[in-house]
Amino acid sequence: MTRILPILFALLWFGLSCTGAAAHESQPGSMELRQLSRDRYEITWRAPIYFGRSHPARLEVPDRWQDVMPPTERMLPDSQVFRRVMSVGEAGVEGSLIRFPGLERTITDVFIRLHRLDGTIMTAVARPSKPYAQLRGERSWHVTARDYLGLGFHHILQGVDHLLFVLGLLLIVKGRMLLVRTVTAFTVAHSITLALATLGVANAPLPPLNAAIALSILFLGPEIVRSWRGETSLTIRYPWIVAFLFGLLHGFGFASGLSTTGMPKAEIPLSLLFFNVGVELGQLVFVFTAIALVRSFRILEVRWPRWVEAVPGYAVGSLGAFWAIQRTVILIGGMIL
Amino acid sequence: MVKRSLSQIAGPSALLAMLGLILSPVPATAHLVTTGMGPVYDGIGHFLLTPEDLVPVLALALYAGLRGTLPGRRILFLLPPAWFAGGAAGLAVDLAPGQLLPAVSFLVIGALVAADLRLPVAVLSALAILLGLIHGFCNGAALKAGSGMLGLLGIAIMLFVLVASVSAFVISLKREWTRIAVRVAGSWICASGLLMLGWMTKGQV
Repeated sequence: MTRILPILFALLWFGLSCTGAAAHESQPGSMELRQLSRDRYEITWRAPIYFGRSHPARLEVPDRWQDVMPPTERMLPDSQVFRRVMSVGEAGVEGSLIRFPGLERTITDVFIRLHRLDGTIMTAVARPSKPYAQLRGERSWHVTARDYLGLGFHHILQGVDHLLFVLGLLLIVKGRMLLVRTVTAFTVAHSITLALATLGVANAPLPPLNAAIALSILFLGPEIVRSWRGETSLTIRYPWIVAFLFGLLHGFGFASGLSTTGMPKAEIPLSLLFFNVGVELGQLVFVFTAIALVRSFRILEVRWPRWVEAVPGYAVGSLGAFWAIQRTVILIGGMIL
Repeated sequence: MVKRSLSQIAGPSALLAMLGLILSPVPATAHLVTTGMGPVYDGIGHFLLTPEDLVPVLALALYAGLRGTLPGRRILFLLPPAWFAGGAAGLAVDLAPGQLLPAVSFLVIGALVAADLRLPVAVLSALAILLGLIHGFCNGAALKAGSGMLGLLGIAIMLFVLVASVSAFVISLKREWTRIAVRVAGSWICASGLLMLGWMTKGQV
């Protein structure tokens, strides 16, 4: 497994430096349209803070919609909330196109929900590759499934910290069966907490959760070195136990990418299922790429210098330590404020 | 066994003329890919959805695999950096390649795979560098308005993964008919290059 290290390290490093996902900056945005009367709607647009700044995307509604009172703006620790009350005219909102100019230059998805007076709810997702959404009736189940599958897939591939944890496990695991058992344990564990968090049964506040996820990565660093030295430990003998326990934490992290507030109850199980399937697909792509590379290096008889082989193991530990300190500082700062 | 390099076969002036033709500037009509996952993934998406770049790389990896482990390793460690270097240069200019580049790449590399020519490793290395520099240069020009340098990094990573996997897969093929199947794939790539050249001659591309 060590032969894979340089490449995966490079892959993760570039992903880390380029997507910014390591710091969980890919929190989704949300837009809610609540019908107040026949032609009047309250619009709430929550733009997440993006890399410490205001989000570059803005909300663009159809020209015929008119403000009936001055718009308001509120700055929260994690987002900017814009509120407007608008008259949409005789034509109503059906078929209207909501645009988010600037979203295409980001990695943010926006959940859109329309609450009608008759109690029906419509949901849609705008994303950087499609920075708009059309307000039109109820969506068929496969459109919802496709949207949430894509969200899950994006979320894991942008979550460099989750991938780094999986890489750490791959570096420790020896043997095919143990690998299957470890990856399965991680999958089962994070599926449990993802479901619990999404269904509102359990909840983990984001700042301590992020610090704990960083600690889980840091924990693997010394274990990797121990494994290289031929030493043994509980983690090396039973990596699936560690994968399961820390997988529970990572599941809460995945849940931060799936916002179901205000979502129709009937839609939650479907969106949860397909979001999780998307996460698993992304994880499998990563694991199979790693395995394919290991096999390829062996066939091509690639010999890495010893120091190159050591870099990724130390990188897992160092990045874990860096994030643990950074996120703990943020956590303590938040508690003091 | 072929002992002569490409420049000896064609002559340096012919190679220069070919390079000039391939890089002849035309209005840029690049299709940029937005994955919504950041510029690195945008670069990977751009590469995977551009057959003009993807197919010659696959063909070169197939050829390296037919030749064995040493050529496989050479391509693996030469192509991605050359592509990145060419791309970095391409980011600084405002021209885009014509259709001749993919056509020539398809034709030449496809023919190498189909014929299973035993080129010296040095020539194969030079070919990988040339392919990387030229295609990378064109990628750089295309990505200038999009994901830029980070997109090129994504492409270089993808190239590494792809070349390693494909060439190792071909090396692992032991039965004679599987090598023939690889050569058949090369002949299709070569034929596609010929078709593209034919269409260009008729002015349909």
